[in-house]
Amino acid sequence: MPRMDSLNELPFPPLAAAAREAEPSAIEREVIALYAQFRDPLLRYALSLDLPVHDAEEVIQEVFLSLFRHLQLRRSRAHLRGWLFRVAHNLGLKQLYVNQRSNAKTTPDWARAMEQLDPSPDPEEELLSAQRHHRLQAVVQALPENDQHCLRLRAEGLRYREIAAVLGMSLGAVSISLTRSLARLARADGR
Amino acid sequence: MLHKNPHLSMRHISDEDLVRYADGELPSHRAAEVETHLKACWDCRARMEDTQSTITGFVRAHHAEFDGQLPPAAGPRALLRARLAQLDSERRVEWWKRVLQFRFALPGVAVVGLPLIALAIGILWFRHATQREWRSATALFDTGVAPNRGLTPGATREVTISEVCSVPHEQVVGGVSDSLRQKVLQEYGIANARPEDYEIDYLIAPQLGGTEDIRNLWPEPYRDYVWNARVKDALEERLHELVCSGQLDLHKAQHDIATDWIAAYKKYFHTNKPLSLSS
Repeated sequence: MPRMDSLNELPFPPLAAAAREAEPSAIEREVIALYAQFRDPLLRYALSLDLPVHDAEEVIQEVFLSLFRHLQLRRSRAHLRGWLFRVAHNLGLKQLYVNQRSNAKTTPDWARAMEQLDPSPDPEEELLSAQRHHRLQAVVQALPENDQHCLRLRAEGLRYREIAAVLGMSLGAVSISLTRSLARLARADGR
Repeated sequence: MLHKNPHLSMRHISDEDLVRYADGELPSHRAAEVETHLKACWDCRARMEDTQSTITGFVRAHHAEFDGQLPPAAGPRALLRARLAQLDSERRVEWWKRVLQFRFALPGVAVVGLPLIALAIGILWFRHATQREWRSATALFDTGVAPNRGLTPGATREVTISEVCSVPHEQVVGGVSDSLRQKVLQEYGIANARPEDYEIDYLIAPQLGGTEDIRNLWPEPYRDYVWNARVKDALEERLHELVCSGQLDLHKAQHDIATDWIAAYKKYFHTNKPLSLSS
């Protein structure tokens, strides 16, 4: 059970600080709060890079450990959301590269598509929306990678400026990319 | 489509400006122009609605694709907490080491350095001595970080998963009465121990169904700082979350923490040393 008084019992507090029984520091609490807020969006984004779930989860852990170091070094607190996605993007791609190098077998696309085609006895309407999802997902997967990233980041709520910073592109390029992708999606949607 | 400004009203809005308008990414003067145009132009308004509908469709498809794959956050969050605590304590130690190194690195500061060396040796000797003294005091029950299984086999009450999981982990903290505390200390042959040296801890935590029973209570030394109470707290929290997210059977959790909590920690955190401490 938590308690606080043992620190005073230890000789030479600086060395014994490793044995700290104190509550989590303010920075730890801040990181955990940000984790609660951004874990799902970041994890979805990491999964959209085609990482297996356990790798994606590990990447997100790394992101928040980096955030902890970032805050400990008293680096900028501005644009933390963009910062989180940028680190997740970079670490995610790195992990993807490692996986491809080691020829790690990830779930093939068709298997994922089959999972999503879950033939549960849905009402007709749900079936229609599921079909629409699959059609749109197929279009997105056929987009150039950078366009996919733009779209996914926008879907997770990032502003153009943040997307530009994550992907290292200009603001104008972000809006052109999004416009192009939405036009393709609209065509697939029969508009 | 007559308008005060024929130049504006005649030219339809580009796809890009429509998207940027929908996203609130246009400069305010341009956004005002687009808004005025949209009021006047059915064509552009229809395109605007199509754009919105495409966005809606994509967002739904995006969530449909990934949301089902997201594992519960509780387990990973507990792991992150433990890793953060480890980083934090490592930093503290490094800070102190850096101070020492800095002193030694400066040329011509032997005057400062020598007393520091002496102090460091003193610290090491003192720690060694106090540790030895502490080890002998707790020799009765091995290393002092694991309870004597004969005296503390663990005791549980009948609980359901929903009872265990209806309360957040942090809220189930029980205090042990003074008389029970004294009994536990007597049982372990350290009746004269100072109160500040030992905490009476539950072997199986209450939030995992453990009871305030002498078979489930043991004196946990404050001084041990490798496998200490904070490390055990982290394990309890992780087990609680694993149980409540359906990833671990409650009885298995009780059994593992009662049999050898340190082994259980290593197993459930996939590590050989406490994550909350530097080695």
